[in-house]
Amino acid sequence: MTHEATQITSPPKPSEILLHLGPQHPLQPGPFLLDLKIEGETIREAELKIGYIHKGMEKVFEDRTYLQILPLTDRICYLASNSNNDVYCRGVEELLGIEPTDRAMYLRVITNELCRLQSHLLGIGEFTTDVGFLTMFIYMVREREGVVSLLEAITGSRLNHNYARFGGVANDLPPGYKEMALKTLGELKKQVKSHDAMLSSDSIYLRRTKGVGVLTAKEAGELGVAGPPLRAAGVEYDLRRMEPYLVYDDLDFKVITQTDGDVFARVKVRLLEMLESIYIIEQCLDQMPSGPYKQDVTPYITRPKSGEVYPRIEDPRGEMGMYIISDGSDKPYRFRIRGPAFATAQALPPLLVGTYVADVAAIAASMDSCTSEVDR
Amino acid sequence: MGDEKIDKTIMIELSNTFKDAVSDVDVPSPNRAVARIDPGKVKEIMQFLLDNGFDHLSCISGVDYPPDKIEVVYHVTSYSAPLVITLKASVPRDDPKIDSLCGIYWNANWYERETYELYGIKFTDCPYMKVLLLIDEMEGEWPLRKDYAGYPDLT
Amino acid sequence: MGIVEIYEIIMDTLVFIFATNPFSPWIRGVLGGLVIGAVFGGALVMVYLERKFLGDMQSRIGPNRVGGRFGVLQLIADAIKLFTKEDIIPAKADKWLFIGAPIVALTSGFLMVAVIPFDLLIIKGNEYAVAVSRMDISILYIEAVSGLAIFATFMAGWGSSSKYAVLAAFRNVAKMIGYEIPMGISILSVAVMAYSLDIVEIVEAQSSIWFIIAQPLGFVIFFIALLADVGRIPFDQTEAEEELVAGWATEYSGMRWGLAFFAEYLHAVVGSFIVTLIFLGGWNGLPFVGNLYIPGIFWVIAKTIIVMMLFIWIRAALPRYRIDQVIDIGWKVLIPLALLNLVWSTIIGLMWA
Repeated sequence: MTHEATQITSPPKPSEILLHLGPQHPLQPGPFLLDLKIEGETIREAELKIGYIHKGMEKVFEDRTYLQILPLTDRICYLASNSNNDVYCRGVEELLGIEPTDRAMYLRVITNELCRLQSHLLGIGEFTTDVGFLTMFIYMVREREGVVSLLEAITGSRLNHNYARFGGVANDLPPGYKEMALKTLGELKKQVKSHDAMLSSDSIYLRRTKGVGVLTAKEAGELGVAGPPLRAAGVEYDLRRMEPYLVYDDLDFKVITQTDGDVFARVKVRLLEMLESIYIIEQCLDQMPSGPYKQDVTPYITRPKSGEVYPRIEDPRGEMGMYIISDGSDKPYRFRIRGPAFATAQALPPLLVGTYVADVAAIAASMDSCTSEVDR
Repeated sequence: MGDEKIDKTIMIELSNTFKDAVSDVDVPSPNRAVARIDPGKVKEIMQFLLDNGFDHLSCISGVDYPPDKIEVVYHVTSYSAPLVITLKASVPRDDPKIDSLCGIYWNANWYERETYELYGIKFTDCPYMKVLLLIDEMEGEWPLRKDYAGYPDLT
Repeated sequence: MGIVEIYEIIMDTLVFIFATNPFSPWIRGVLGGLVIGAVFGGALVMVYLERKFLGDMQSRIGPNRVGGRFGVLQLIADAIKLFTKEDIIPAKADKWLFIGAPIVALTSGFLMVAVIPFDLLIIKGNEYAVAVSRMDISILYIEAVSGLAIFATFMAGWGSSSKYAVLAAFRNVAKMIGYEIPMGISILSVAVMAYSLDIVEIVEAQSSIWFIIAQPLGFVIFFIALLADVGRIPFDQTEAEEELVAGWATEYSGMRWGLAFFAEYLHAVVGSFIVTLIFLGGWNGLPFVGNLYIPGIFWVIAKTIIVMMLFIWIRAALPRYRIDQVIDIGWKVLIPLALLNLVWSTIIGLMWA
């Protein structure tokens, strides 16, 4: 892959059109500008311009205390707010030299996996509308409702959860949660299987997705895409297994991979990962030890020793890392967010070159991008 | 990929191969390793790491240490092992310049563009060194430097 | 007095008027107004059905606020909203093309309505079709007039000086060229079997056996081509929202957009009527009804509503094709099959004769 593939190098010839997809377009999860130079319906060159909702989070975080940052990490990407809380807390815990309690670790795994479920459900839903399958989107949102309610029962909010704390979590499970969760998840499992069967057999859907936007394992690694697109290409890279954090070591789950690396495989990976997530939550609910859900002493004024950490977790979209440098004060000296959507978005233009305009919708949506996280 | 020795021994090899360029090697935890490198040798060191199975550039960040230096921090890891190598290269603050990694890791481009617009670190040979997140008028402001006063409100 | 008696009285009156002076322009005019009103109402019914029925299939409620819990007045509220919205004509648009496009689209729909027969009355050995106008070549006329709709989309696409609209217009023309041919051939097959190009004759020819049974392949081809013709999922590439925003109607706002939108539904309704008339037996009732008298117009409308529902069902159940795949299907699959069907219907038609 050359870098020329990411840029529009010359003005359009008389037979070509420069088509701006964005900054406002029904395709997009958030504002970005995708410039396409097209000839007929074929894309000759593509360029992605981001930064429309650049919030300067890294600068903002340098001016906030550690506890003040915690709710702001939700806002990096609202679909992955729980994972962002979690990776931030793991970083600060490592700086402070404390460990979350056993029960808190299970609670964090449960919320993380619920978060993954709702993110994947919405991601697949958005993808299916982008290939013109509105009904599946509505079904996915219906399924997501149950998952979001489960999250709400634990964390008290439906979108920006702000649940993890340094050394624990904000609160314990409500009474009767296990039965409620098992019921909802059992139903969800059935629905996901039926949607999977439906999507795998619909001939129009197959024609729209098979062999479109193919990334080989080598290319995917080289382009640095993260999460489901990477695993769909056949790279078995899942930080839950690679670098087990929390209690993922004690849990039984498969790392889902596909070999085709096309749009179909990416959606398939998400569908199968949802089944694994349900399995993980069921195990957690079974195995969860009793005990305190947070440390007895939670430091409100957090002054970690000077040092630096780079915790990474497997976000719904892939490898989420935060590089936190502490200088011993109550605010971080440098806060760097390495988001998976940013990494994946970079690989989008080379994939689009040579495809059709209609495939742009399918390929871009199959990456499950989140502009909020790309721009930070 | 598939290289068997993707573990901490790479740090010994690294410091042996680049005796003058690598210093302060530290392994703080099982999956993390830190070293300080000479900014002039960054391409060779990265090529060496890539050849030894570190095929995934996780992140490039800038860190400002006024008044005299800016660090460029590379997080390099592998798709088949959890070890993350943090490499730090100090460049002078008044004329920050370092070689681009675009030829070695494809995905370095956006990270370098981001670091450039936020810190003013010039990545030489980078094919497209222009602002990524900020508006074009903000080139030259370097907003993430510690002494940045804030962008004037032009409205 | 039941509905049937009222209908008979009305029909008797109409027939009396026809019988006295069947070619009086006044009577034709009144009838035309009624029929256009009916089809207009039909399009409204289709919009309402689409929203409600689609909502049911997608496990949501659909319109449920304006006009009681079934939201029957929702469309009126929408129309009021559209009428009161600002009418924007882009500065760089070609004004006359831009304004003309929705009018052409609607005109093409209404011109088609002119020859649609709803029933055939026989009085004293004379046939009177309940239609604005009875032509010898009415099905050919419908084919020709429906082609006007392409001009509307192209005028809109070219006139609004938007790249999305231009792309959509190109797509539409490419698609139409591919799909008018199988559609025309399958209409031809029907005409061969019925020995006539007159829709009334075609319906009468189905009194013993409906053409959907006599040539099922022809029905399938015609139906697919019709879906493409009226631009509904899976063939709605011209207004694929995620690719081209709103396709050729991107720059339209307010009631101009409303007209464009309405013209599409009108085409869908007229398309349903044509399917009913040339394949589903028109006003020929189902055999099990026996001697019970049911007016032919009831059959036509009931069958049309079923076809409309089929449209909506397909929309709920299928994703969208890519434009190159659509054209592939048109040229490589539908046209050969349509030719095959023509051979079949010719043979069967000859044997029948």
